[in-house]
Amino acid sequence: MGNIVIFGVVWAALTTLAEWVFRANRAHSFYYTISNQGSLALSAFNFLSSWLMPIFIFIALIMIFSVVRFRAPNNEPKPSLVQAMRNRWYIFIWVGASFVLNIMFWLHPTSVDLEAMFTNWRQEKAQHPLIVNVTARQWEWMFNYPQYGITQAVNAAGLDEMDLPVNRPVEFFLRSYDPFHTYDVYAGVIHSFWIPAFGIKEDVIPGETRTEFLIPNHVANFHTNPLVRVQCAEVCGPGHPYMESPVSVVTAPQFARWIAYQKKLQAAAGGA
Amino acid sequence: MEQQMTQAEARNNPQTKVMHIAPIFRGVIWATIGFVVLDLLTVAVDPFRGHPLVTEPSEVMGWAGALIGWLMGVGGYEEMILPLFGSPSTWVEPKDWRKYFGLSTNHKVIGIQYLFTASSIFFVAGMIAMAMRYELMQPSMHFFTYTGQYLTAVGIHGSLMMFGVGTVVLISGLGNYFVPLMIGAKETVFSRLSGLGHWLLPAGALTLIASPLLGYWDTGWRGYEPLASQDPGGIVFYYLGVFAMTLSTILASLNLAATIIFHRAKGMTWARLPLFVWGILTVSLLNLIWQPEIEMTFVMGLLDKLIPFHFFDAMGSPLTYLSMFWLFGHPEVYIIVLPAFALWNEIIPVMAQRNLFARDWAIIGLIFVMMLSGLVWAHHIFTNMRNSEMFPFSFFSEMISIPTGFSFMAAIGTLWRARLRLTTPTLLVLMSLFNFTIGGLTGVYLADPPINLQVHDTFFIIAHFHYTIIGGMVFTWMAAMYYWLPKMSGRMFNETWGKWLALWVFIGFNGTFGQMFLLGLDGMNRWVPVYPPYLKPLNYSVSLFAFFLGAGFIATAIHILWAWTKGPKSPENPWHARTLEWLTTSPPPDDNFDGEVEVVRGFYRYDHDEPSAYLVKSPDPME
Repeated sequence: MGNIVIFGVVWAALTTLAEWVFRANRAHSFYYTISNQGSLALSAFNFLSSWLMPIFIFIALIMIFSVVRFRAPNNEPKPSLVQAMRNRWYIFIWVGASFVLNIMFWLHPTSVDLEAMFTNWRQEKAQHPLIVNVTARQWEWMFNYPQYGITQAVNAAGLDEMDLPVNRPVEFFLRSYDPFHTYDVYAGVIHSFWIPAFGIKEDVIPGETRTEFLIPNHVANFHTNPLVRVQCAEVCGPGHPYMESPVSVVTAPQFARWIAYQKKLQAAAGGA
Repeated sequence: MEQQMTQAEARNNPQTKVMHIAPIFRGVIWATIGFVVLDLLTVAVDPFRGHPLVTEPSEVMGWAGALIGWLMGVGGYEEMILPLFGSPSTWVEPKDWRKYFGLSTNHKVIGIQYLFTASSIFFVAGMIAMAMRYELMQPSMHFFTYTGQYLTAVGIHGSLMMFGVGTVVLISGLGNYFVPLMIGAKETVFSRLSGLGHWLLPAGALTLIASPLLGYWDTGWRGYEPLASQDPGGIVFYYLGVFAMTLSTILASLNLAATIIFHRAKGMTWARLPLFVWGILTVSLLNLIWQPEIEMTFVMGLLDKLIPFHFFDAMGSPLTYLSMFWLFGHPEVYIIVLPAFALWNEIIPVMAQRNLFARDWAIIGLIFVMMLSGLVWAHHIFTNMRNSEMFPFSFFSEMISIPTGFSFMAAIGTLWRARLRLTTPTLLVLMSLFNFTIGGLTGVYLADPPINLQVHDTFFIIAHFHYTIIGGMVFTWMAAMYYWLPKMSGRMFNETWGKWLALWVFIGFNGTFGQMFLLGLDGMNRWVPVYPPYLKPLNYSVSLFAFFLGAGFIATAIHILWAWTKGPKSPENPWHARTLEWLTTSPPPDDNFDGEVEVVRGFYRYDHDEPSAYLVKSPDPME
């Protein structure tokens, strides 16, 4: 009984300490998150962390406890004094808790968050989102804004870039093919559209058009935080490491100015 | 005994052949001839513009010729082909160290061959990992000359580790050596097949190592389509090398499963079967189901590459390849780790001299993990999934942690209030439990799709699976090597060195992969030799720990090799264990037991002194 009490006290103390430290830092578990979708993932991550920490501390403490408390004074092969092969309560609590916890994790956060995610997508779809056609080719991200007639958004140097207005729903259409080599069926491979700061990625598959919805909720860009970038996350050939593009989340007036600038660039390039 | 003698004579021609050349050298020569003949024949029949001597189809045919030449050369000709055509085998297995360098039918020799080959592969693949970590110390290319070269290194590292080490050491290696001993068998069922099977492993590994000669391939160990179909010829050697290595695993599993079913000693009922044997039986069934599946997938990938068929590109279905790969891919990780679960509960009761707690739950756990492992594959492709499909795969991925937990429940129940001898194997098993806990609990995050969509394809994943595979399996492999060293060599290691080296590897491992979780959360994606500079400090630190870890593995290997050859003589049963392998001498004689084994009770009780089994000595044939 003494061992259980000591173990329980140490376990409770360590768990409290760990939860307290975690609580002070959990806003930054994902380092930097600036979209509604990312907040969903972040809160799920933090919820699970709070529940998994006591479990981790339990197992780790048992390992340390066995070495400290149950260690034999020498390596003589003497049988243990306790030889129990069954403990009804221990088995009952272990098996019961593992069922309850796993089913709980599946209901919350998983099922609840998935429902929230799909509902968000439906609502964002209904709110006339900004449409961005994203084309992935080896090895470039290209961004097209059909509502504004922008064929390929680039900066002054001609490099692809993506600007998004803050707090406005976005619908990404994701396609993988090479617009310059449409005759080549091998040209399309799997890429993965990932903006680390938005907390979601989706694979871009040749032959399929996929959609993704989210609302960026903080003004930021690649220079304020390097997580605000498009990064190809699925290996797509030797150019894969270079397949990234800067992203800027801007205010509505800034976005309008950017669109005007893009139109000017496009006109200067001879229209499209 | 008598029956064995007659068998041995019938197999060996009275006019035995005297080999003037070591079987492996003959294998290399025959393999070279096989490659040249079939390669040239193919380019003669099917020339390519410019008339190169090696084309993609010809390298496949040449490789098949080389593999056949190699298998015949190491002894397959005498042991398999001659008997097939009615001639007696002329093969003689040497009695000295030479027996390790040719085809053997002795499961202990085969086990050591597998352990040696897999350790060599572990060394090569580990050195490749060191090169990768060296590259990642800087955010730009400074060591590898081309990104494709780095990606090829990643692919070779992963494929060698998964197919040449992960699925091999505990199953084909320690399983081959100890399963027959632990069930009281004198030989295995398909001994010759098993002996030939080992030689597929070095052939497959060398094929993968040679793949850059044919062009850098960049898919990693998963061979994702349609990228693989646009890769140069090196990808062909990826398919072929993995094919040979998985075939080796299939043959070993077939032999071990059949041996467990048919060659158990008298009294070795299913209820008395040792934990490790249960572990090997469950993974053998997994291997027999899923390894043929991935071989078939790779054959399709290969044909797609050569013909091409457009199975998996935009004209076909890329997602089909992804599902077919992970249908095998997730069971694969349980193939790697299930024997480790079993070994925890094999070693802990011995070291604690304590009854194994809840043995039935530990076995049920192994069986349910085996069954559930085929239902979770699509959590690897949440980024490719219809919304409705996320629910069931997330559900099964969560649920598989329940039977996994049973192994922990039994281990902890056995540790509680025991008189635990803190030996090196004990320490390594406890470290393995600790590491696998981190690997398993981070898997709970990954089963949740919203989190998965963020951390998928980042270093978070790399950290997670290295925690399960190195943390779960490699630590247990080291524990088992120390635990069984006295049995395999008759010698003992140095306890002090063993513990310090274990601590060394433990710190190196947790320093390396623990920080990778942070890298992944901070936006470091996979398969990149070049990355944004803000990630450099953490990468630099990871690399330093990685070099420390690599040195720790090498030091451990040196210690084990030293103990194996020069260590002090060990007592017959140094741990006071009860399982059958300790009933015979160390190392065991050729036919394992000098007599007949009879099991009379289970092996996991330490509350009495009654023997679990008796060895009835056979009468001396000279009398």
